[in-house]
Amino acid sequence: MALIEARGLGKSYGSKRAVDDLSFTVKPGSVTGFLGPNGSGKSTTMRLMLSLDAGQGTTTFDGRTFGELRHPMRHVGALLEAKPFHPTRRARDHLRMLAAANDVSTQRVDEVIRLVGLESVARGRPRKFSLGMGQRLGIAAALLGDPHTLLLDEPSNGLDPQGITWLRQLLKHLAGEGRSVFVSSHLLQEMAVLADELVVIGRGKLLANGAVADFVTSSGLGTVEVVSPDMATLGPELESRGATLVAGPGDATTVSGLDAAAIGDAAHESGARLHQLTTRQASLEEAFLAATGLDEEFRGGDQS
Amino acid sequence: MMDALRYEWVRLRTIRSTYWIIGIALGFQLAMSFLIGALAGDDAGGTDSFAILVTIGASTGFAPLFIAYVIGLMGVFSMGHEYRHGMIRATLTAVPQRWAVLAAKVLLIVAVSAACALACVLIALLSATIFSIELPGWGEVLAISSGTTIFAVLFSLSGLAYATITRNQTAAVALLLLVPTILEGIIKSVILAIHAASDDPTGKGGGVWLIKYLPYDSGGQMYTRRSLEDLLEIFGVVPFGPVGGGLVMGTFVALLLAVGSYLFLRRDA
Ligand SMILES: Nc1ncnc2c1ncn2[C@@H]1O[C@H](COP(=O)(O)OP(=O)(O)OP(=O)(O)O)[C@@H](O)[C@H]1O
Ligand SMILES: [Mg+2]
Repeated sequence: MALIEARGLGKSYGSKRAVDDLSFTVKPGSVTGFLGPNGSGKSTTMRLMLSLDAGQGTTTFDGRTFGELRHPMRHVGALLEAKPFHPTRRARDHLRMLAAANDVSTQRVDEVIRLVGLESVARGRPRKFSLGMGQRLGIAAALLGDPHTLLLDEPSNGLDPQGITWLRQLLKHLAGEGRSVFVSSHLLQEMAVLADELVVIGRGKLLANGAVADFVTSSGLGTVEVVSPDMATLGPELESRGATLVAGPGDATTVSGLDAAAIGDAAHESGARLHQLTTRQASLEEAFLAATGLDEEFRGGDQS
Repeated sequence: MMDALRYEWVRLRTIRSTYWIIGIALGFQLAMSFLIGALAGDDAGGTDSFAILVTIGASTGFAPLFIAYVIGLMGVFSMGHEYRHGMIRATLTAVPQRWAVLAAKVLLIVAVSAACALACVLIALLSATIFSIELPGWGEVLAISSGTTIFAVLFSLSGLAYATITRNQTAAVALLLLVPTILEGIIKSVILAIHAASDDPTGKGGGVWLIKYLPYDSGGQMYTRRSLEDLLEIFGVVPFGPVGGGLVMGTFVALLLAVGSYLFLRRDA
């Protein structure tokens, strides 16, 4: 349905390069996670994609830029970082206003209000809304035009656990219908269960764009737990093949740098018996930290 | 463009300030024109009484045109709210064509400000009828009414332009209140003081010609009748007439809007 292609996005604030020659693709039918440390340029990238910020590069949605779309909210739904509501305009009126510009019916307005669970406060003023309620109103606005593409900047911000689960199911469902869902988040565990694809950036530059599994595997952080009564023979053999060995857990040895197949081969060739061979995938979090470790701008001070 | 107009129309109708601004303008006009009507009594008539009734005293040059300041806030809020509450990003994701967003704001501010000012004129006519104050000829009634309305509209548009340029509602309100009153007042006094101290204080030389290009002051000629300004003529100040004054103010507002659009079309939302 909607392929998002970002080409050469760039933006400077003064002498600071917030986004630098960033190109990536978001495929329909999948949730694409947008990851990067604080200040790495995620929100700026999203604003550039919607032509809200003046910068370099272009983003096309099925070949057309955001500005070229007629009734854009029916193509691309966006939730941005700052909550853009007038504090005294009733929630329903806010949505009616957006709907008026995009030829969306009032019936649909009430539908999205119900969908995000704001019926009871639809006639309330956002000034009195909690963080999560404001976020729900923003999500309602993004969904208003039933768009085939969603750009969401930290949508789970302020949502309670039920809300986060609801949002995850909703986004997965929408992607399952063939839509493109591009969502930034800090919550890596959340991303690990939500995203199929990733765009990872650091200091405004692209670090990775591809399937989550590939990103995790390519980090080289996966390990294999080996249990063998002939560790005295096998150990040096593995090390000679470039592996790193750490004792534990229990009577197992944790091997990194070789995958299970290579370890099995080595055991066979050196005549060592294998009692157990367990592959442990790296977590998305580990892979992310490894990828962005050198790029993180605002690293916390050392505890020691 | 129709989409932008629809957006802007719902925007205006769903914000409380629109209602209190119109309420204050009409309420003030009603209270004051009836008060003046009641005090003026049957013997009043002619050009001046009606002008005073419509402008609540501003036509004498002694007072500012109060309703313009109130209606002008609508112009400021039109863009000011966008920046004050980050609404501009929601607006531009709903209507990405920035020129359309700005054009819709200008059109609706013109329409709503004009309607509100005309309603104020009607209130003055009502008061004149009730208190049987004699009206001047229809030509003059029309001139005062349109002058007052056009001034209020241009005033409101200047507020919209200030907010677009500064991207700051508070600063724009301050500019709208201070530029016509204090800033122009200071410039005028300084020019006159220099001129009065010169060799030829009653001549038309020096910088006095500048005074008639003060935009709000000049625009005021559209509704000013028996003016305090007449006293300045001994200093060689020859103001524009209503048409010339209106053109000066119109040009000023057009320039402000041009600067505003130039910036709005280019910078970050
Ligand atoms: N309006 C602005 N003026 C100046 N600098 C800005 C502005 N907006 C962003 N920046 C800078 O650009 C960089 C990228 O910011 P951005 O908000 O895009 O990061 P982010 O990845 O969204 O961060 P976070 O995870 O904290 O939301 C930061 O260094 C920030 O300081
Ligand atoms: Mg951000």
